[in-house]
Amino acid sequence: MTLWIILVLCAVVALAIILRITLRRALPVPALDLKARIQPLDVEAFRNLIDAHEDEYLRERLPGRDFRAVRRARLRATAAYIRSAGANAAVLAHLGQAALSAKDAATAEAARQLVDSALLLRRNAAFALLRTYIALAWPDSGPAAAGILRSYEQLNGSAMLLGRLQNPASVVRISAS
Amino acid sequence: MLQAHSFLWNYLWVAPHLLLLTLAALLFRRGVALQIPSFLAFAVVEAAGGLLQFWADVTPSVSALNYWRIAWAALLVESLLKFFVTGEVFSRLVKPYSSVSRVGRRVISYFGAALVMVGAVVAAFSHIDSDTWIISDYHILSQTVFFVELGLIVGMFLFAAYFRLSWDRPSFGILFGFGLSACEHLSAWAILTNADLSTHGRTLLDFANMSTFHVCVLIWFYYLLVPHKVAAPVPAAALSENNLEVWNRELERLLQQ
Repeated sequence: MTLWIILVLCAVVALAIILRITLRRALPVPALDLKARIQPLDVEAFRNLIDAHEDEYLRERLPGRDFRAVRRARLRATAAYIRSAGANAAVLAHLGQAALSAKDAATAEAARQLVDSALLLRRNAAFALLRTYIALAWPDSGPAAAGILRSYEQLNGSAMLLGRLQNPASVVRISAS
Repeated sequence: MLQAHSFLWNYLWVAPHLLLLTLAALLFRRGVALQIPSFLAFAVVEAAGGLLQFWADVTPSVSALNYWRIAWAALLVESLLKFFVTGEVFSRLVKPYSSVSRVGRRVISYFGAALVMVGAVVAAFSHIDSDTWIISDYHILSQTVFFVELGLIVGMFLFAAYFRLSWDRPSFGILFGFGLSACEHLSAWAILTNADLSTHGRTLLDFANMSTFHVCVLIWFYYLLVPHKVAAPVPAAALSENNLEVWNRELERLLQQ
């Protein structure tokens, strides 16, 4: 009795997911609206948060309990940055895909690079977020998100290149000072 | 009206399969079939299997046992083909994206293996609804196949949505049709197998299965044959409004370190 209810519920949830994705595909968000969703990020602050030397310094200076509390706060901030970076990557992947069909070969190639970098960052963001949450449970563990910074920097480079090719006067910004 | 072997029953059994054969012929003529050959094979085999089962159902000389043997063979072949089609569609989806292609294939493979294991556990706990093994096991196998199929399709949709991968129209249409079909069929087979339904209740579920399949065939017609509107290219301004040159100069300097 219970089994068929569980299976029917699974099917209903699956149907809701499939219909939602289909509707989102049928009603694409305009590029300008998408662009407004990009959240500028402070790369330096992020770099500081994931700096292993900072963690070592804090570990040496603070008592164990205080260190864990501070490390958890830093990890929560790191997770927020990673989520934002991942969300930016998703928007840029979307925009880049729309620019793939550009007639200008250089723009199309820049769009391809942007999409590849954005997808790589999105993938790294997922893994880094997972590691960050694990580190939150064990705050004495090592740095969680070193790889994501490199990906984010590469993505910045690709976005700027595509922006310059599409409009030499201005560029895309996905980081904040 | 909603009786077994009524006009509507016969229509819902035969018409979608004839339509599927027509679709296969049209796809072959237009060359669309070459893009996803496994779907062409599925369309032909599914249509032939459905029509063969209908013939076996209405022909008095075919025994009940032989009918179920035919149904078993059709289910096994169609299920294998459906998994081939979903695999091919997923390969088409991730192939252009080198950065997620490998990880995507690996994630879906592991996910599929996990689904098979969970499906086997669900099958082991399923109710045996008939004294004749060939009938009860057919119901349980159908439930398991649709469970795994639905899980895989949802996994693929979520993977594509997470990475914002763009679907080509035929691939999306095929998977959308399979997804809708799997949602309804999983519910129907789960209820049929595990709930003690009356004969009329079972007939109603058969109607639901056949109607859903009919809708799916029409969805495939729409996605595979009706041309889509070409999306307008992204305006340059959309990617170049934030003009903070000072910050970008700093960032470029950082990237070159």
